[in-house]
Amino acid sequence: MTPANSTLNRRRFLKGSAAGAGILAAPAIISSKALASSGEVNFVGWAGYPVLSEKVFPAFTAATGIKVNFKEMPDQDTMFAEAKVALQAGGIDVIEPTIDRWGGWNANGLLQPFDESKLAMDNYLPGLADGSAGERSRKDGQLFYVPSNWGTEALVVNTATAKLSSPPSLGDLFNPENPAVLRPHSTLAAMGRWLEAQGKLPRPWMDGYTDMAAMAELWDIALAEAIKAKGNVVQWWSGENEANAGFTANGAAIGLCWDSTGFNLRNDGYAYIAPVEGAFAWHQGFVLMKNAVNVEQAHEFVKFVSTPEGSAMWATAFSSNPVGKGSSEFLSPEVSAYYAGTFNDEALAKLWWWPEQTAEFIAKRSEYADKYKAA
Amino acid sequence: MENLIRRYGRGLTGIFVLLVGFWLLMLVILPNFAMFEQSFRPYLPVTEIGGPRDVYSLNNYAKFFDAPVEWSLFGITLMVPVHVLSFLQTIFYSALCTVIALILSYPLAFYLAKIASPQSLPTLLLLLFIPLWVSEALRAFAWYVILTFNGPLNQLLMWLGLIDQAIRWQQGVLTNFDAIVIVMVYCYVLFMLLPIYTSIQSLDTNQIEAAEDLGAPWWRTHLRVVIPHAKPGIASGCVMVFMLSAGSLLVPTVVGSTRANWFPQTIYTWFNDSQDWQTGAAYSMIFLLLCIVFVILMLRLFRVSLSDIAK
Repeated sequence: MTPANSTLNRRRFLKGSAAGAGILAAPAIISSKALASSGEVNFVGWAGYPVLSEKVFPAFTAATGIKVNFKEMPDQDTMFAEAKVALQAGGIDVIEPTIDRWGGWNANGLLQPFDESKLAMDNYLPGLADGSAGERSRKDGQLFYVPSNWGTEALVVNTATAKLSSPPSLGDLFNPENPAVLRPHSTLAAMGRWLEAQGKLPRPWMDGYTDMAAMAELWDIALAEAIKAKGNVVQWWSGENEANAGFTANGAAIGLCWDSTGFNLRNDGYAYIAPVEGAFAWHQGFVLMKNAVNVEQAHEFVKFVSTPEGSAMWATAFSSNPVGKGSSEFLSPEVSAYYAGTFNDEALAKLWWWPEQTAEFIAKRSEYADKYKAA
Repeated sequence: MENLIRRYGRGLTGIFVLLVGFWLLMLVILPNFAMFEQSFRPYLPVTEIGGPRDVYSLNNYAKFFDAPVEWSLFGITLMVPVHVLSFLQTIFYSALCTVIALILSYPLAFYLAKIASPQSLPTLLLLLFIPLWVSEALRAFAWYVILTFNGPLNQLLMWLGLIDQAIRWQQGVLTNFDAIVIVMVYCYVLFMLLPIYTSIQSLDTNQIEAAEDLGAPWWRTHLRVVIPHAKPGIASGCVMVFMLSAGSLLVPTVVGSTRANWFPQTIYTWFNDSQDWQTGAAYSMIFLLLCIVFVILMLRLFRVSLSDIAK
């Protein structure tokens, strides 16, 4: 079908349906869509987190009177495709990608910046919307991305048996005296960052994420060092259960694992520690569509997720960490004590956000992970 | 077909044929064809699918030969592409599983078919079947628990005083693939036992007695009389155990050591970690093709034809 045809068809369709709607309840149907701005916001986000619709959106509507029209998408590629369609067709105001992706979205002309005066930038915990994350949220000084929740990957250690340097470092993962449970690709990144911290890399580790030649150069070094230190790896993990069993059944003393692994083992003599180089962290948040209709409401929505209550609810829905100050009182006390124990303000400011990893990069990364596993 | 129509009538036969046709076409042929077609296309962002870069090529297949790593074999160091190495190791250790399963199964199958008394046979078969009532995932996980560092095997051996330090069985004592081989043999040995049992059962016991009467030692009776008769059963058991082992993702994922990479895990990585379903499809095709070639070569080597197995 050519574009000309499609407009014709669409126009004819609109005429037909408008006539039909006129006979039925025209005012009710047209008013909600036709007004430039109304009490609703069209939000495209992640599928599989039912608490959002069950608890968070009703709370937002109760607080502001704004209704959330939620469209669930399984992954960011689909969200991106949907946003490209919406650029012509309309119907999306806010989307929730991760921090490493919005640059590509913006390059495709999908986004407009937020108006900071309509948000509450002071609501955010340090290190999440300022510092290096803040820089990566902006282009030409304009704020395109604001965080919604985040999580980390850091050291889970057996407090009795792990040999830790002082302060604890990513290098402790490669100490031959520490039986370790690791996952291959993040271990290689940990090796790279540890080598960089000691000044043993010819160029910044971050270069590898933007330049494939630099990636090969840097990852070759990290791979060679990681293979030399591989003797202490007692188990690989790819999900929660394997990580847990690596410690409990296979007696690992240290691991580079998700925060949830450390949380589940917290009463069995294990601690979750941010390494001196900074914990690995991921970050997702909101972007505003270029042709958003409900701009005011979108700002209200985004702002709600930075409030103590709103950010706590959002984080709970994703089983991750909140972005707002004061949110800990809305989380379970055990969870907030656990996170506060690992991340003081200094550790928060040092978080190392996973950079954008292109499809080409990830394919190459898997190849390195395979070499590391097979060695 | 005529037999079928005579026995069940046209209507029922038609339903059989339709159902088998549906199963073959919709659940076997079309999905495999879709994978085959995908395997020649590049992995692209959603928005570029069907665009100018979406063209057929052999690039995904070429990735199989990328990324050489060092591999020392009998003291000689070779450079082998890492995925080819995983493939060769998978084939070798699957063949090893097959041989071990055969060595374990043959005497047992002979005992069940020719020596065990008919009264005790149901009990014996039941005992053999009980492990099959538990899902493969649980059986593999049970072995994971047994072999772990803090697991019952180490505790038992230490309590008995046979070892004074816990051993990392999962990492392997002889090779990096010990745990995988042990668990695969355990999981798949019945697929070897049952076909051999059935084929030995159909051997007339008089033939064995005749061989013995004519003065053949026990090993020659087996070599000349029992094994030739049981050959189709042995062959189908071997093909089944080999293909099940080579294609297993669960067992190596659960019990594999940190130095063992099974080829299905490589395929899984392409699909799941890299999100590159096209290259994953290409690797699946390579694996399917090379395994079939290997099996056919082995059948040739042992002079078994496919029609023997079908019987």
